[in-house]
Amino acid sequence: MKKAYNELWITNLNIQNISRSWHRKNLITTKQLEQITIDFPEAFYKPGIFVKTGLFLFTILAGSFFSGFISLFFLENSTDKIFTVISIVCAVSYFFALEYSIKDRKLFHSGIDNALLYMAEVATLIPVFLTFEHLKIWQYCLIILVVNSVLLIRYADILIAFISVGALYVMFANIIIASPQLKPFLPFFLMLISAVIYYFNKVNYGVYYANCQTVIKIFSLVVFYLGGNYYVVREGNALLSDLRTPIAPQIPFSLLFYILTTAIPLIFIFFGLRNKDRILLIIGLLTTAFSVFTYCYYFDIIPVEIILTVAGLALILLTIFLINYLKTPKFGVSDEKDDSQNFANLEAIIIAHQFGQSPAGDQLHFGGGDFGGGGAGISY
Amino acid sequence: MTTKSILESFTQKGILPEEQAILIAEYERTKSFSIHRELRAILYLGITLLTTGLGILIYKNIDTIGHQAIIALIAVSILACFYYLFKHAQPFSKGIIKNTEPFSEYVLILGCTLFLLLEGYLQYQYEFFGTRYGIAIFIPTVLFFLCAYRFDNRAVLSMAITGLASWLGLTISPLSVLEKNDFTAPGIIITSIVLGVLLVVISWLSEKSDWKSHFRFTYILFGGNLAAIAGLAGLFNNDPKIIYFLITAALCTFLIQTARKTQSLLFLLMGVIYGYIAVTYAAFIFLPDSILAGLSIFYFLFTSVGVLLFLLNVKKILGLKK
Repeated sequence: MKKAYNELWITNLNIQNISRSWHRKNLITTKQLEQITIDFPEAFYKPGIFVKTGLFLFTILAGSFFSGFISLFFLENSTDKIFTVISIVCAVSYFFALEYSIKDRKLFHSGIDNALLYMAEVATLIPVFLTFEHLKIWQYCLIILVVNSVLLIRYADILIAFISVGALYVMFANIIIASPQLKPFLPFFLMLISAVIYYFNKVNYGVYYANCQTVIKIFSLVVFYLGGNYYVVREGNALLSDLRTPIAPQIPFSLLFYILTTAIPLIFIFFGLRNKDRILLIIGLLTTAFSVFTYCYYFDIIPVEIILTVAGLALILLTIFLINYLKTPKFGVSDEKDDSQNFANLEAIIIAHQFGQSPAGDQLHFGGGDFGGGGAGISY
Repeated sequence: MTTKSILESFTQKGILPEEQAILIAEYERTKSFSIHRELRAILYLGITLLTTGLGILIYKNIDTIGHQAIIALIAVSILACFYYLFKHAQPFSKGIIKNTEPFSEYVLILGCTLFLLLEGYLQYQYEFFGTRYGIAIFIPTVLFFLCAYRFDNRAVLSMAITGLASWLGLTISPLSVLEKNDFTAPGIIITSIVLGVLLVVISWLSEKSDWKSHFRFTYILFGGNLAAIAGLAGLFNNDPKIIYFLITAALCTFLIQTARKTQSLLFLLMGVIYGYIAVTYAAFIFLPDSILAGLSIFYFLFTSVGVLLFLLNVKKILGLKK
């Protein structure tokens, strides 16, 4: 299927970005960079994240009122048939606007085209769902998967990629749960599916799909971990078997899942560092945190505040040690400051949210993260 | 497309000489994998966990550990933090301080958080400030402002601004300004608008006088959000509506103007969204019913398309370079 966005421009954009990172490292001169920008041109409209957000929101607003406007013509009777007609009219209009905005206004994932794509997808799916009622969940998932895959190949949108993989997982999970013989092995099936997806996703499908592949990679890694996580399996088992006990019952192969809970994050971190794969590393760190939570949840012999204090202290000491240790790069890993993006302002906001003082009643409470200040407004 | 193929195409087009291409290929092959940001995130997480844990620990064991011992321990930690800070601090400067020692920022945040802990503890145990809660919040606020300017730290500046607001009884952290404030209380809207506008004025002054002009972003983000949301709340709930409408409109204009001057698209977005809500609401309030009936069907469709066109051509209209 033909790709919607200009592939040559995307390639050139990628070349320009790489050249810019070389320029920051003083590997090429400013003049050479300018020459590269001229020789490898692109003319996409790429606004910043904030304008993109605005464009997205107002496109959704305009789109929803457009559909409201269309439905004004069919006010007399509101049956499923009418809804189908309205949806089809809307879907066609959205797709038309989408193609126009990409071809003519040269948009490139700039808010408007994302919003139009999502609205078009929803408008396409509504008639299908209205026509085929009472299907099984996996059949709905199959429909979503097929529609999304087509859209994914043409538009390479990350949310579409996310929904596609999600639908794929739900479809398989639904089929497996339906069969009593396979049901106990659901975690292993999920891990197997994740491994297969990860393997096929490793193939390089080109810059056009680079971001989508990242999303699919994150998704498959996280599901792979969750499939082996003791907490998820134990609670999930209780949920699926409809056992309404206050504490979820023990599961078969519990030792195996304990091992998986510990081992998977460590393997992720190890390979993340060895293969210089940042996604793997970060997911390894996050899943480590979840594994710690898993163990604390089932072994609450030590009170939570002592765990917090000790863990906090250990983390601080560990990072200080690592920062000092990595002053000179070791095993190809370093602590070099990356100036490419400045997150200082964002950091400040998050910290203010975390530690900021907030008025809470007229008494001082105190605790670590949330410091409650006193007094509301005009009372004093 | 690999580094190699890119470099080949560069040398073929004669942009890079052969030797430089080899050099870059060598750099790409041997470059190290930086885990700078990940380490900082873990460090920050560690500080959060530690202070939270200590807080709960003290709270639970308040009767068994000696109070003096706890206070002394926290006080010593604070002193240690600030000793470290002053020892490694760069001299004061009106601009951005670069090349700071790697841990300073985190030690400062740790010190400031511990100070809050100490103060809360003193108040809880000894009613140190009696019922004058205002002072209890005002002291850390002043301290944080001083620290923010002395050590050039935007995070502590944000903490100081939220402290200042909570001294006035407001919550202004950008993520919780809507959910935690009760904007139906009459006094709070006026207070919010005054404080918000004041913060915006400070941001303008620090830009004008070149005093920590990089703090402008923080001030305007807090102030602009607070004043605009309070203005909208006033417009929805209170009379006279025209006054609140004018205040909000003026603020949005200022935000869009600032966006134009500072090339910051976040302020542009804030201005456009708040402005759109204010204008839409005002249109439905002030216009007579006969016009409204015809307007209501098309209004959202056409205005949102209008805003889209504005945002699409924002570079041309406002003369933005980015």
